[in-house]
Amino acid sequence: MEYVNPEGLRLDGRRFNEMRQIVAEVGVVSKADGSAVFEMGNTKVIAAVYGPREIQNKSLQKKNDHALVLCEYSMAQFSTGDRRRQKFDRRSTELSLVIRQTMEACILTELLPHSQIDIFLQVLQADGGTRSACINAATLALADAGIPMRDLAVSCSAGYLNSTPLLDLNYVEDSAGGADVTVGILPKLDKVTLLQMDAKLPMETFETVFALASEGCKAIAERIREVLQENTKQLEYRRAA
Amino acid sequence: MGTEVSTSPTSLIDQTVVPGDVVLDLSNMTNQTIKLGSGLFQDNDAISAMRAGKLRYTKPNKYWVESSHKRYIPRPEDAVLGIVVDSKSDNFWVDIKGPQLALLPVLAFEGGTRRNIPKFEVGTLLYVRVVKTNTGMNPELSCTDASGKAAGFGPLKDGFMFETSTGLSRMLLSSPTCPVLEALGKKLSFETAFGLNGRVWVHAAAPRVVIIVANALMNSETLSGTQQRIMVEKLLEKISE
Repeated sequence: MEYVNPEGLRLDGRRFNEMRQIVAEVGVVSKADGSAVFEMGNTKVIAAVYGPREIQNKSLQKKNDHALVLCEYSMAQFSTGDRRRQKFDRRSTELSLVIRQTMEACILTELLPHSQIDIFLQVLQADGGTRSACINAATLALADAGIPMRDLAVSCSAGYLNSTPLLDLNYVEDSAGGADVTVGILPKLDKVTLLQMDAKLPMETFETVFALASEGCKAIAERIREVLQENTKQLEYRRAA
Repeated sequence: MGTEVSTSPTSLIDQTVVPGDVVLDLSNMTNQTIKLGSGLFQDNDAISAMRAGKLRYTKPNKYWVESSHKRYIPRPEDAVLGIVVDSKSDNFWVDIKGPQLALLPVLAFEGGTRRNIPKFEVGTLLYVRVVKTNTGMNPELSCTDASGKAAGFGPLKDGFMFETSTGLSRMLLSSPTCPVLEALGKKLSFETAFGLNGRVWVHAAAPRVVIIVANALMNSETLSGTQQRIMVEKLLEKISE
């Protein structure tokens, strides 16, 4: 099947280095301490953050002088084409762990000892790149909740089909059997916090695909900064003169 | 993409910052003492923001990030509204919307002795002062001011409590008096208690006055002074019909 036609257009009309449209909104769940909706094309994800609050289950606390970060990733049963049978399966457990590790690296947990931060991620529409959308949504929700972070954690995926590196794969491109590289970075500190790949790639090709995904991450970081700045300006309270 | 550092301290002041933004580069500023307030942390030579908000500066050397969130970070000498969640022989456990539950010693009342320990049921609303906030320990509260007098601290009876953001609380406590309170105070008679932790208590003789005041306060967060006055006028007009 042809995923990139001779003119360089993909199935949805994008070029190899074009991302899907990003729509992001902060403060959507009124009960949560911080929340956000993040859309990358048709993939839509909602994140809700509760905390920092008193630890509910002391047996889960491993590091004594750090906050406990808990993360739950689940896909709504209506998020995919065919109705999903179970909300929680092995893939959800793995993604919960991976996203928790990414966000934990970014949160300044040593500033909030003996407390708990809960991140709930729900995929409302799945069209490829759900783990990236989840990380981006979680970053916005954590910033909305005022949880101290060393940087914004952003994530993007890239793949390799028809001998071309492709940025931001959708579901059809992802299921094509080529490699899918998901990268999570802290843009200002220029550090990688997440790197996952399925299938195989030769080293040089991997470096090209990784660089492309990192570029995508930087673009998302810009967008997330804009959204946070907009939101901060709206929330600004009037100081007495 | 390297980090964008503001070499001159004035460039980001009064601007919106997001987590990761480097606001000061210490390697360019030698022999200066800088005081870092909430929202800033030091990473070797760079001072970075860890929350999304506005960077503020007062002479001679105080920097901090001003932001408004639903959770509260306890600081000594803050007056907050807490809810009793448990009572033990030495302390009451009080929820102040912070990362941990706070302790209120049973003797921390004016003229408090072992013979006249107050009995607070679970759910009692208290107006308390934060005394100590050491990292890793639960914050400590008191129902007296620094000299041992009651000064208005203690349980709040009747009335209505609602939760808002920390930014709105700060605005309502600012001096000169915030426009919405002035406008309401001209026509209505009511009693309020504001906690810096985002809790507000309103009490008046008639329930409709409580509802008007509560709604006016909840709506006033993002309004300017003039808009607040107009909003209160419209609200009072509607009620008097």
